[in-house]
Amino acid sequence: MDFSLLLDPYILTEVLVQGFVRGAMYALMAAGLSLIFGIMGVKNFGHGELFMLGAYAMFFVTVVLGWPWPVGIAVAAVALFIFGMLLERTLIDTLRRKAGRDWVLDAFILTIGILVVLQNLALILFGTSRRGVTSLIDGVLVWGPVIVSYERLMILGVASLVGLSLWAFIRFSSLGKAIRAASQNPEAAQTLGIDIRLIYTVTFGIGAALAGLAGGLLISIYPAHPTVGFEPVIKSLACVILGGLGNVPGAILAALLLGVIEAYSAFFMSAGWQNVITAGLVVLILIVRPSGLFSSSKVERA
Amino acid sequence: MTAIPARARDANPWRSTPVRVLKVLFLIGLLIFIPPLIDNPYITRIFISAVMLGVMAAIFDLMIGYAGLINFGYAGFLAVGAYTSALGTFHFQVSPWAGLLTGGLATALIGLATGVISLRLRGLYVALLTFFVGESIRFALSNSPEFTRGMLGLSVRPLPELLGFDFSRGNILAYYYLLLLLGGAIMLLLTWLVRSRFGLAFEAIREDQLATQSLGLNTTKYKLYNFTIASFLAGVMGAFYASYLGILSPSPEEFGVYRTVEILTITYVGGRGTLWGSIFAAFLLIGLQEYFRGLGPWRLVIYGSLLIFVMLFARRGLAGFKKYLW
Amino acid sequence: MGLEVKNIVAGYTREVPILNGVNLTAQDGRVTVILGPNGAGKSTLLKTIYGYLTPQEGEVLHDGKRIQDLKPNQMLGEGIAYLLQGHSVFPRMTVEENLELGGWIMRGDQKRMQTALDFVYARFPRLREKRSFLAGILSGGEQRMLEIARLTMTGPRTILLDEPSVGLMPSLVDEVYEEISKLKDERYTILMVDQNVRKSMSIADYVYALALGENRYEGPREEMEKKLDDIVREWI
Repeated sequence: MDFSLLLDPYILTEVLVQGFVRGAMYALMAAGLSLIFGIMGVKNFGHGELFMLGAYAMFFVTVVLGWPWPVGIAVAAVALFIFGMLLERTLIDTLRRKAGRDWVLDAFILTIGILVVLQNLALILFGTSRRGVTSLIDGVLVWGPVIVSYERLMILGVASLVGLSLWAFIRFSSLGKAIRAASQNPEAAQTLGIDIRLIYTVTFGIGAALAGLAGGLLISIYPAHPTVGFEPVIKSLACVILGGLGNVPGAILAALLLGVIEAYSAFFMSAGWQNVITAGLVVLILIVRPSGLFSSSKVERA
Repeated sequence: MTAIPARARDANPWRSTPVRVLKVLFLIGLLIFIPPLIDNPYITRIFISAVMLGVMAAIFDLMIGYAGLINFGYAGFLAVGAYTSALGTFHFQVSPWAGLLTGGLATALIGLATGVISLRLRGLYVALLTFFVGESIRFALSNSPEFTRGMLGLSVRPLPELLGFDFSRGNILAYYYLLLLLGGAIMLLLTWLVRSRFGLAFEAIREDQLATQSLGLNTTKYKLYNFTIASFLAGVMGAFYASYLGILSPSPEEFGVYRTVEILTITYVGGRGTLWGSIFAAFLLIGLQEYFRGLGPWRLVIYGSLLIFVMLFARRGLAGFKKYLW
Repeated sequence: MGLEVKNIVAGYTREVPILNGVNLTAQDGRVTVILGPNGAGKSTLLKTIYGYLTPQEGEVLHDGKRIQDLKPNQMLGEGIAYLLQGHSVFPRMTVEENLELGGWIMRGDQKRMQTALDFVYARFPRLREKRSFLAGILSGGEQRMLEIARLTMTGPRTILLDEPSVGLMPSLVDEVYEEISKLKDERYTILMVDQNVRKSMSIADYVYALALGENRYEGPREEMEKKLDDIVREWI
């Protein structure tokens, strides 16, 4: 192994950009997962399937219909927003009224059922072939020794924009404030006239929209196929744990970190061992610091 | 509020009504005599799958149904049993018969270790931790092809002849009866366990850890017992699975999340905290799967829908219909 | 008019009702206090009035309108506010954000929101000083002030209070009852559940005593004060 390669500016940017692109995908997924968990207590194991549906929506709009890519991304996000809300209102909401104190675990199991159904429905409808595009935008940016494709810059740009909008929405909009209130004290939020069921439905929709958007945005790297959501969901689940369950900024930070770590470790070892490292890291964090890397407070171990 | 009512403890299985004894004997009779009478390897394989997955699901139930511990890396634990036995034979010429035991012991060790590191965790955190433990095991297996042959697949020798019984691969009835013996013993052990003082302690963990601790029960100890015993039994089943199947590969379908989900579905459909419900559910689900084999992925859609249905509308699983069927 | 509870039967499960036919009226602009030992169903009664529990029998009327089929989040729109037992501020949001959420149902009306904020700040100057502080770092007394201030944002007619002084330092308890008597002066209809018998009696107009989910005694304050010793003795 020649470590000096890592100091080569070409390779350094290549690795960093690759890491950030991966990290951006993990972050979009993990932000939604973490939001849904933080507010509803649902660990959505079917989140990867929402990613998959977003990828198919993107393929349909850009390749089948031949419309421009921004439309595709918007359609993927909006379609999944609606689908997510439907899923919440029909299934998760029904479970909430029956599960009682087994809720957290039962909701997790329910999303496993959702995963199995969606994945196999996709298999039936679309088959196993991979449907993607080679690139949404052509060309590369050359700046001294640094070469980055416009495609990757676009991915990073869109992801940052979406992240910022999400932050602003949660921070400043009245619905965003209601969402935060519901996560901090649902009963009190209700006494102020906040319809908590609506909050749950919208929150799940937002999480689903982020996953769908991620699926659409990364179609040139992860072409749509029925099991495409598996890796994203596992990795983003890891990020959510590393960042602390329900801690959205923590999850995003962990996602970027994990993306870069993976891109670097790809230099040293096969992709298979990367997964062992990720899984090992998560196990380690769960053992020594269940509240996540970035939290100052001790979390209730529920 | 909890939808799973406390199990009835009044029914003592060892002192049953004659009608019940007859019903049980009838079912056991079906298990013993149907495969040889039909004498169709296809049917026998279905029976083997159903009993094997049913017993695996009952072991899973010991954790989730009785102690509220979910082992979401369960398939990885089965893989430890399967690979310990198979690799022992492959590399060190250990008899596959001893492999049933070494597989169990190795898995028990992993279970104990996982139990120790998850002691402070509860509920969902245990699920997440075990999931990543299971995945680590699977990744490690697939990333060490020089030792495990990874995704190329490890071929496993059949069990050698024992007491004059021929366990060559062609004689699957022998495997079936071995499974009935093994599975029967495991089921009896599990039933005894949950009705002993262990069972009460497990249930106490499930119901409320804090209250249990304040009653002076050492939940930590019983959590470890539960996890280790379940892992040992899972390892034994994994080792049997290896010998029966003849080829192992650490794919997600075989030893990853899909297998865990399959077993978990059987447990939930059978009814959490019922043990025997898993066996019935396994026959139902494997039967459905085979019946709908021509439908391809539709059978998995049915599987997933059934899990959703059970979670939403039949929260006690098949056990909820017991009074109509039994 | 005020708030009327007629023959309410309710509980967490159908089989075990906690309230077995409770009758009660909270008169307009008066303070009505509900007393009773632990387990008498006092908090359950408030929860039932506010729609957290659906009564199996009986009626709840607010200014003559049936409200027992409404959900908790519709109650403020009907002019009923509810102070939950224990802490109910949103700790990781600012004081001002907490107050704005108190005005959630008028969120479209920026002008009304601002008027309400100004009014509340005028009345609780300490909250204005700390408007950009996170609610979680306020003292226990200040948090309670914030909770009470938040209740009044939309100008409700009726306020339900569940154990307003429980868990507070003794030095702060007087402050809380002072605030409640201010609310009384402002002619809010107040229905209050309280374990602090003496303090709540001091501001009550009319008193109910519940036992085992049923009405036990009732009467105007002066009348009930005479019986008080007997009532409390029964609880022990």
